[in-house]
Amino acid sequence: MTMSFNQSPRIPSLPRQFQGKWNKKSYHVLRELGRGANGAVYLTTQGGVKRAVKVGAEGMDILMEVNVLKSVQQGRDSQVGPLLCDVDDLVIDGKPCTFYAMEYLEGEQLDRYIRQSGVDWVAVMMVQLLARLHVLHKHGWVFGDLKPENVMVTKSSKQVRLIDFGGVTKQGNAVRQFTEEYDRAYWHAGDRKAEISYDLFSAAVMMVRLAVDPQTWQSSHSETRHTVWLCDIIRKSDGLYPYRVPLLKAFHGKYSTAGEMRAEMLEILKDLTVAAPQKQKHIQKQKRTSGAGGMGISGLFVASLLLLAGTLYYAWFM
Amino acid sequence: MKEATLRQILVVTDGCSNTGMSPVAAAALAREQGITVNVIGVIEKSELGEKGEMEIREIAEAGGGLCDIVYPQQLAQTVQMLTRKAMTRTIHQVVNKELKEILGDSGIEELEPQKRVQVAGMVDELGEKSSLNVVMLVDTSGSMKPKLSAVQQAIHDFSISLHSRSGQSRMAVCSFPGKQKYLDVRIPWTEKVEQAHQISSDLAMSGITPTGPAIVEAIALFEHVKLPRALSERYADMESDDNEDGSLRDHVF
Repeated sequence: MTMSFNQSPRIPSLPRQFQGKWNKKSYHVLRELGRGANGAVYLTTQGGVKRAVKVGAEGMDILMEVNVLKSVQQGRDSQVGPLLCDVDDLVIDGKPCTFYAMEYLEGEQLDRYIRQSGVDWVAVMMVQLLARLHVLHKHGWVFGDLKPENVMVTKSSKQVRLIDFGGVTKQGNAVRQFTEEYDRAYWHAGDRKAEISYDLFSAAVMMVRLAVDPQTWQSSHSETRHTVWLCDIIRKSDGLYPYRVPLLKAFHGKYSTAGEMRAEMLEILKDLTVAAPQKQKHIQKQKRTSGAGGMGISGLFVASLLLLAGTLYYAWFM
Repeated sequence: MKEATLRQILVVTDGCSNTGMSPVAAAALAREQGITVNVIGVIEKSELGEKGEMEIREIAEAGGGLCDIVYPQQLAQTVQMLTRKAMTRTIHQVVNKELKEILGDSGIEELEPQKRVQVAGMVDELGEKSSLNVVMLVDTSGSMKPKLSAVQQAIHDFSISLHSRSGQSRMAVCSFPGKQKYLDVRIPWTEKVEQAHQISSDLAMSGITPTGPAIVEAIALFEHVKLPRALSERYADMESDDNEDGSLRDHVF
């Protein structure tokens, strides 16, 4: 996050042990998990159960997050984010502070997970993420500050969950919080109105960032930010190229729901996984009978021409 | 509570003021007139000394606003966030004051968290809908030169943020030190800033950093404020001097 060592008021630090003022639950603090723009998250135990506790500098911001977490919690299977467990106050250095406790999700930040498990996972995780966003959007929110650091892959079930709801904004308002790298306005592709398409834009940028090596991504900083640069990367990347249509559509705000984008990505993902073994068979066949192989090759050629035409169409008309 | 107009001055600087009245006193004066003062320190390495850091914090505190110290690359994002947070804070204070009148001395802290969540939603909504007037006050003294392209980017970027709000937003951009006065109005009150605006061109070359006097002059840009006599005379002079500033004049007087 930003190097804000002087923001006033400072984000308070939790004492080793504390009790909520209203609900009287006692927490033992084990360690700090991380610090974001709005607050700090700690790992604690409460009644023998691990809980993540978030405190922030501004009580109002913390309460807004509670508001969102509560609203997406109808229906336990939604799994958008962590479950909310407690909202309460405590006193730190004589000042009242609001905190909330949530389910502790054990897992890995999405970017670290991809680094460890390989880029094959990028598309799978994107499809999952879009499903989570779809639920969030249905409740009238936009996530806003979508970036790998705010997406977690759970250790046990490899499920994608959104964490840090500080940027979540009511649809139609101005996005509360964003990170430039994933921000639509920063890429000169629109404004900061909290729209479904804003999140989908960030998601598409995130997919590109996750699929390419850090050096390539770093070079974006020296360029003037424009989606043309992203399209260039997609064209050169074997991992991203098959997904160019949904990615381009997301860059240009052509989807009205996350579900639509998810369906199209899933279709491509399925085709790719099914197509891979077929391709090998195909090559074996080709060795035996050159005639059929020739047809296959010309078929591929025609297909790639069509794909090229499709890309050009997008580049031209959007 | 009706939809309010929020007024802010955002100072972007990289060091200490060195002339004229104390910027902390100027910020206190602004606050007294219903204007919140936020400060962003822009640094290249860790060039901002302890003194500069303290000044930044003190200005924000006296001005009832927030402050942050960032690298030029983070400027755009910080401007938006600081402004929004300061807005929420101002509205929170007003709401809290009204609640105190209803609930007695205790105010919002005495409401149970579940109820407060609803208040938070209301505060957020008021922030979104209210009118917002921001004067960006950019330090253009010598050491800021290399950072001005980032500042320029941030100005345009901030304009996009303001434009994305539901409520009415206006911004003006001033640089200090100015050529004749303590500040020059670079962009008069506007609802949208075009990217083409060059803040780095045609700057007053000077080693002085009159942060305090510049804040006082920036206060004068808000139409609801009555100018002190000395200042109104100075602006009256300007008025007759250059007519291009007509749009500015409308708002000042």
